[in-house]
Amino acid sequence: MIFFRLRFPLPLTACAFALAGKVAAADSVALFEKEVRPILEEHCYDCHGDGEKKGKVAFDAFGSTAELGKQTDLWMAVLKNIRAGLMPPVKEPRLPEAALHALEGWIKSGALGLDPANPDPGHVTLRRLNRVEYRNTIHDLMGIDFRADAEFPADDAGYGFDNIGDVLSTSPLLLEKYMQAADTIVEKAVPLEGRVVAERSVEAREFAGSRVRPNREGLLPLSMYEAADIAHTFRVEKAGTYRVEVEATVRGSFSFDPGRAIGTVSVDGKESWRKELAWRDKEDLAIAVELKSEPGEHTVRFTLEPLLGLDRKPEPPPGEGALFANVDFGGLKIQGPLERKHWKAQPGYARFFPRAEPPDDPAAWPVYAREVLERFATRAFRRPVADATVEKLGAIASRAWAVKGTTFEQGVGRAMTAVLASPRFLFRVEEAQPGAPTGTHPFIDEYALASRLSYFLWSTMPDDELLTLAAKGELRKNLGAQVNRLLADSRAEELVRNFAGQWLQTRDIEGVSIDARTVLARDAGTEREGRERFERFRKVNEEMDVARKAADEMRLAELKKEMDEMRAKFGRGKRVEFSAGLRTAMRREAEMFFRHLLREDRSALELLDADYTFLNEALAQHYGIPDVQGSEMRLVKLPPDSPRGGVLTMGSTLAVTSNPNRTSPVKRGLFILDNILGTPTPPPPPDVPSLEASEKNADGHELSLRDALALHRGKPICSSCHNRMDPLGLAFENFNAMGLWREQERGQPIPSVAGQLITGEKFADVRELKHLLVHERRDDFYRCLTEKMLTYALGRGPEPCDVLAIDEIVARLQRENGRLTALVLGIIESAPFQKRRAEL
Amino acid sequence: MNPNTAMNAASLATSRRRFLRGLGACLALPSLETFLPRASAAAATGIATTASGMPLRTAFVYFPNGAIHDHFWPQGRGTDFNFKRTLSPLEKMKANVQVLSGLDHRNAEPGPDGAGDHARANGAFLTGVRVKKTAGADIHAGISVDQLAAQHIGQLTRFPSLELSADAVRKAGSCDSGYSCAYEHNLAWRSPTTPLAPEPDPRLVFERLFGGGARGERAGSLAQRQQQQRSILDFVIDDARSLQRNLTHRDKDKLDEYLTNVREIEQRIARAEQFGTTPDPAVDTPTGIPADYAEHLRLMYEMLALAFQTDSTRVATFLLAHDGSNRPFPELSIAEGHHSLSHHRNDAAMIEKCALIDQFYAAQFAWFLEKLDAAKDADGTSVLHNSMIVYGCGNSDGNRHTHTNLPLVLAGHGGGALAPGQFRTVESTPMCNLFLTMLDHLHVPPAERFGDSTGRFPV
Repeated sequence: MIFFRLRFPLPLTACAFALAGKVAAADSVALFEKEVRPILEEHCYDCHGDGEKKGKVAFDAFGSTAELGKQTDLWMAVLKNIRAGLMPPVKEPRLPEAALHALEGWIKSGALGLDPANPDPGHVTLRRLNRVEYRNTIHDLMGIDFRADAEFPADDAGYGFDNIGDVLSTSPLLLEKYMQAADTIVEKAVPLEGRVVAERSVEAREFAGSRVRPNREGLLPLSMYEAADIAHTFRVEKAGTYRVEVEATVRGSFSFDPGRAIGTVSVDGKESWRKELAWRDKEDLAIAVELKSEPGEHTVRFTLEPLLGLDRKPEPPPGEGALFANVDFGGLKIQGPLERKHWKAQPGYARFFPRAEPPDDPAAWPVYAREVLERFATRAFRRPVADATVEKLGAIASRAWAVKGTTFEQGVGRAMTAVLASPRFLFRVEEAQPGAPTGTHPFIDEYALASRLSYFLWSTMPDDELLTLAAKGELRKNLGAQVNRLLADSRAEELVRNFAGQWLQTRDIEGVSIDARTVLARDAGTEREGRERFERFRKVNEEMDVARKAADEMRLAELKKEMDEMRAKFGRGKRVEFSAGLRTAMRREAEMFFRHLLREDRSALELLDADYTFLNEALAQHYGIPDVQGSEMRLVKLPPDSPRGGVLTMGSTLAVTSNPNRTSPVKRGLFILDNILGTPTPPPPPDVPSLEASEKNADGHELSLRDALALHRGKPICSSCHNRMDPLGLAFENFNAMGLWREQERGQPIPSVAGQLITGEKFADVRELKHLLVHERRDDFYRCLTEKMLTYALGRGPEPCDVLAIDEIVARLQRENGRLTALVLGIIESAPFQKRRAEL
Repeated sequence: MNPNTAMNAASLATSRRRFLRGLGACLALPSLETFLPRASAAAATGIATTASGMPLRTAFVYFPNGAIHDHFWPQGRGTDFNFKRTLSPLEKMKANVQVLSGLDHRNAEPGPDGAGDHARANGAFLTGVRVKKTAGADIHAGISVDQLAAQHIGQLTRFPSLELSADAVRKAGSCDSGYSCAYEHNLAWRSPTTPLAPEPDPRLVFERLFGGGARGERAGSLAQRQQQQRSILDFVIDDARSLQRNLTHRDKDKLDEYLTNVREIEQRIARAEQFGTTPDPAVDTPTGIPADYAEHLRLMYEMLALAFQTDSTRVATFLLAHDGSNRPFPELSIAEGHHSLSHHRNDAAMIEKCALIDQFYAAQFAWFLEKLDAAKDADGTSVLHNSMIVYGCGNSDGNRHTHTNLPLVLAGHGGGALAPGQFRTVESTPMCNLFLTMLDHLHVPPAERFGDSTGRFPV
């Protein structure tokens, strides 16, 4: 059976196969007959020719050699399988090096018709900004944070990524949301006045006299059981009216705490606010004081006087954290002078309006508005904007001014709304560099290049430097330096979050459903007990309902007694959680690791095996690594015998490839095939019994996962793929569904995790498996990683026409020891990234 | 932080009084006459219309954290029953409501998904499905019964549906044991992945329904808004067309998708204008969310009443507070949070406080029903007569987190289709059966199943 999956569910229109002028068809046929057919006959025909048709593949089943050459899907699969060593199968003789090269060479030039002199860059479908890109672009363009992830429906993903042009559709609902968002964003971001009241903040820690220290948010958590008296003195330089806001919020524990206190605020010794405070889960106190002042000093004092002694504080109910009733004190906001003549230029105003104020004479507004709008639209569209468009935008502003009382800024804001709803903002429009010789594929123009760079590395719009270089036509000349600048910028975190986050699925760790209690019970072998206990509780509860409805007091009393006995015996059950904090630490571990490789330009092979990782105390404890204290994530050198190191044994990878109640060796195996080796198996055929169903055949006794899988694999229809997935996944059986190291499952010791790859290499444990991947399957990994990142960079799936570009990047990785910049630069300099398909 | 919040309380109260007075005036106006032509046009199709040709309104009101059953369920059975303390505020409305006992939402019970009963209860209430346990972007519930109705009858009114809440909104992240907040903070789901966020600010609700500003200016401000929207649409359509000229097939398809959807919005605006004059209720525009909770609830109920009276919509949901709400009730001298109280562990004092809160919510609901009852419909009956209003919770016993025998009231006569004035007790039946029957009364194309329904529940 041949192992391949057709990875191109979309029509193969991205590559042009009108191949006249490259390798002439006749030459290709001649070359095939001379060099390729003999190889196929010797190594492949036993299964795929002379009447054999394993995996529905027979090389001699086509009408002519020319016809055989046209089978693009077939040849892509052949190329993948011979390179990955999947074909010929491991029990057959290997292809000699020379034969492998001959076959590869003919497939590329003959069957796929690839022309290194004029490489076909493929076609990138017009890409809509996805939610992440929209949010980041709005942030950079408008200076505000718009939660696109909460406001817009989720984006569809293709090829494992959510930035694929063909897949990103526009639903009626999304468009409606875009329209609303444009309104909301302009309203929030564009200042409607040139000048505003000056404002400054005083942090809580600047207050003297506090007996408690600021918490992580910088607030003083003042308990209602303890007296507090804190004060701060500030100076005003200008005479005028000031407003002082005291930031204080009542905060309480989940359960009620009876603590009460009198809170007061006084300014310069005069009390201006007093209130009795009591438990709320959250309530802003909204305290504001106005004062007229000459230049000079003022003292604001906040006091809390308890009404209830600490001795009256109750114990929390069983199973709950400490009770509290606090005032979280956050300091001051001082606004003023409030008089208009003292107003200051508004922060953010200059982002949109170059002048401090619009012309006094409305007759001069249209000219200035066009200047403002041209500047804005150029940034928003990420390329120069046509005069006609600017005219139309100006007309929208004029129409708005026609309504009495509309300010200059409001009118311009209306036009900006139109810009944000325009397809030139929402889609990434690309143009070709003019002047390419006929019959060749042109470069994309420099504006398109600037956007490709910024959306690839930052998931946002190009910054001013990129746009300026593009405007001068100097971006390509400075490509290397610009890429380095972009990678060094903090915005490159987005490449980590979105590329690595999707490739390694770390974006999913915080949402993945794992039932910690069940997972631990399964390891300990107490799963059935727990289930039965739960069922009994539930049953008694239900019977109590029945008895209550029937007013059967005697039965009710009996049941209550039974319930109490059970409670006494089992307790209420401690809450076991796979906590949000731990999940976040796992996500950060993977992200920081990838970011580290990128920043230090280290080898991609460290993704597979490394002697360090990033941990905080909680995660280190989870991994059983000593001497890491505090919540800060930091680089930690691993003990020499640690099974950790590399992404495969990170908590996030182990958990996202698990089921809610147990590990899934199948998912873990598939993860490696798909994301590390680049040879995923096809999806399972319909009507396959689940693992749990297989277990049922085991006479009711509980099976280890290994045994259950072996049973499942017994069917020939399953074995061809599971022989590839299961041994890989089972190598990780010492890690439970939360990524915790374990020695037993269902109360029994974990059996040996030794296994072998389908290509024959044997391993004894997970450390040897990692070693194998790094040393024996290195090229497969390089190719897989390149394909994944190219997919993300281009926003389209890999196509046959990308083979040459990918080969070049893999060769570069080999030359440069897997350095990540070799990968990133290799992609950026490749034809698919630099060029645009000419419609021949 | 708005420093004026506290200081404005007094002026707010005055404006509310003025508002309520105004509303009284509005209720007396035969304003509905204006809507009769459309109502009778709908009568021809029968959809969301009573036998007398009046609009048939449907609303779902959700109260949080279950109920104290001993106090909630009436004494007696059938038409011979007496309210106990929780529902006693409904005494005057007794002939207009039926109390339903025995309906379940089994899909809110814990399954393999473990803890998270509040999220499940809230999420299943109108969808009937087991919501997907996730705190991420991949939320998944089901289309809700109100939205299913709105899909069929939404075109009859200026607004397909109205979503209200009196709760602070949280939209993203995890709220209850790994469940997205989306499940707890929304009742209405337009599709399994798209919740419709409810609006808690009565001013914004009012402005959306009738336009902003003082009476007499509102139609103008709405028209202005529509005109500006139109000029923006014109611009983007132009822009898309100019772009399209340079594109090839698949790029063109992507842009076509965009253009089609823009045109749809354009048509919707045109349709809204077809409805002719926007009603202009004789009330002041509310000024915002009042500090007093009962007032907030009543203002939102007012908005709902106005929307129904003016036939601005026939479908609405109102999330009083999300399941799991831990709000204290200083207005009832209850300092503890509702959610923590609901885990009363059979403590008599805590049960007492829960019962008080249950009654508080019921009292606001009774007030709303009385308003609707006083509002005359054009056929001589009342708006309440021509309504079907579900009042209930997806949590049954807040202490034990059960989801069977849900506390439920169905108010209104459905234009004569319903038989209020009774306490119905049935053996365990899916709540979704009730939904199917309500959809039947709306004369929308009959559905085979909804959620976990097993049939109809004739009411």
